[in-house]
Amino acid sequence: MTTMLRPPLLRLESVTKRFGAVEAVVDFDLELHTHEVVALVGDNAAGKSTVARMIAGEYQPDAGRLLLDGQPLALTSAADAFRHGIATVFQNLALAENLDVTANIFLGREVKEGGRLLAEQYMERKAREYLDRLNAKITSPRTPLSELSAGQRQCVAIARTLVGEPRIIVLDEPTSSLSVTQTAEVLSYVQALRDLGLGVLIISHSLNDVLAVSDRIEVIRHGRNNGSFETASTRYEQVLSAITGATRYDRSARP
Amino acid sequence: MTAGSQSALREANAARIIEAIQRFGSLTQVELSEATRLSPATVSTIVKQLLEAGAIETRTTTRSGRRAQLVTLAHSRGLVAGVHVSPRSLRLAIADTSFTVLAEQFLPLRPEHRFDTTLDRVALLIVEQVEQLGSTLEEVLGIGVALPAPVHPQTGEIAVPGIMRGWEDVDLQETLEARLQRPVQFDNDANLAALAETRFGAGRGTDSVLYIRASYGVGAGLVVGGEILRGPRGTAGEIGHVLADPLGQICICGSRGCLDTVVGAQALVEALRVSRGSITLADLLRLASEGDPGSRQVITDAGGLIGTHVANLAVAADPSIIVIGGELAATEDLLLEPIRAAVSRRVLLGGDNPIQVVRAELGAQAEVRGALAAAADLSPISGGVR
Repeated sequence: MTTMLRPPLLRLESVTKRFGAVEAVVDFDLELHTHEVVALVGDNAAGKSTVARMIAGEYQPDAGRLLLDGQPLALTSAADAFRHGIATVFQNLALAENLDVTANIFLGREVKEGGRLLAEQYMERKAREYLDRLNAKITSPRTPLSELSAGQRQCVAIARTLVGEPRIIVLDEPTSSLSVTQTAEVLSYVQALRDLGLGVLIISHSLNDVLAVSDRIEVIRHGRNNGSFETASTRYEQVLSAITGATRYDRSARP
Repeated sequence: MTAGSQSALREANAARIIEAIQRFGSLTQVELSEATRLSPATVSTIVKQLLEAGAIETRTTTRSGRRAQLVTLAHSRGLVAGVHVSPRSLRLAIADTSFTVLAEQFLPLRPEHRFDTTLDRVALLIVEQVEQLGSTLEEVLGIGVALPAPVHPQTGEIAVPGIMRGWEDVDLQETLEARLQRPVQFDNDANLAALAETRFGAGRGTDSVLYIRASYGVGAGLVVGGEILRGPRGTAGEIGHVLADPLGQICICGSRGCLDTVVGAQALVEALRVSRGSITLADLLRLASEGDPGSRQVITDAGGLIGTHVANLAVAADPSIIVIGGELAATEDLLLEPIRAAVSRRVLLGGDNPIQVVRAELGAQAEVRGALAAAADLSPISGGVR
């Protein structure tokens, strides 16, 4: 939902990122509001992941800037972004196979009791709470990760971002190589995040999936903006032709 | 501990186990112990008792590549599948023949999704869910599918062009039956929701129910003598396409000034464009529940106009009860009060025994429950179960 009075939760203003002679992202704009799912779509190597990594604090833009609540922000690292309420789930999920659900959710951010001992019961209770918020189909927060399906793992990775009470969640290809049942579960988690009032940026190849859950779709082509669509009034073919470059995007026509 | 309190504890533990099985569809005994926090020994004892009582079954399947013994609710008499396809999502439930839901799934869909992609996903979801219950497709007695458009009873095609683009001019029943090799019944969502409310919901105990589905569009389902009134073309109850504004917009069906052009989701959110920008029906409902005056006004006014047409239909059809469902019904009295007011203004509907206007009891589950009932009716074994 667009609210015209408040500044957007997150705004990318003419950001550019180069790797040597390669222009990965050029003069790129993006806005994300609370209670909103924005999909970033584009071909392979269009610059989707570079945008995600700039928002996640892993890359710093060479030109342009990020604004959080209208305030300019220079993120120095992923940890810095996390402190500012921006959490990212990358495609590889970075979960530990040998640990259980709770340990994975609190991995690297363990809560301690009296400074030394792990607050196991507290973390288990919180883990259950995060899973419930997402309506997760995981029987116990003590289930070993190795027993979970790909969809359930995605859920653990998303639940993990909730530990820092973030305001923005970036999901990189959350439904790639999932079965229909698992896709259904992950898309439900995305809707749950939106209902929690978060701003969600979802990066995906699957147009069917992003059209299903997003409020708005931003197309990136050769690192540049090539279309912005309100999902509810958009046809599949319109987005497809923006991705392939069959239609060009006139930025001056933007509201 | 006395014998009495021990048996009470056993019952409470058994209830916890049944609840966990219902929530997750099927579980191994180890998972059951994790989910209920009961000891493996307790779980094992209670599972044995429930097995003897015939309340549950165990089935052998594979989990993470290993053979595992799955515990599910008993469904040896077969399974039924119910599907509700909406403009933006699909909902699926697998139940036993007494309509206890064993597995559920929800999948958001893109705007203007098409029959081939969506039915493909329906088929895969059914196969995957049935497998997770440790069952096979052969155990599925029937599949009911609720669609947001009238379905022609003879051809199984969408009866009116324009309402559900991307789904027209195809034999939907044949398409899904060919995929799953099980009997399939397609019907209109308001019809199936009406059937569900009559059998399991607010209309229980009566056999003539007028059900109104106030959602992205407005539809009605009429149950007369316990049977859905479809009409020879399948369009009975399509009150979204009665004349509401003679000088209104042209509707997607081609007529001018249909009720849907005035109170359909598109018209409702459009009315708020100036104050709220571009919003969805879900946003509108959330704003109304948060007390936003504009949103509440829009829903109240829609209720007034829907009420007029509901009252007219009730005068003509003389149902025992009027049940209001669909997403807009979640706003409760905001929508229902203006409908009640309009109905009470018709003298024929008042008198000593005035007709009741009540909120649907099954909420978002109504269409799926109706689809389950329709699926059961397809099978000679379970057809009599009501």
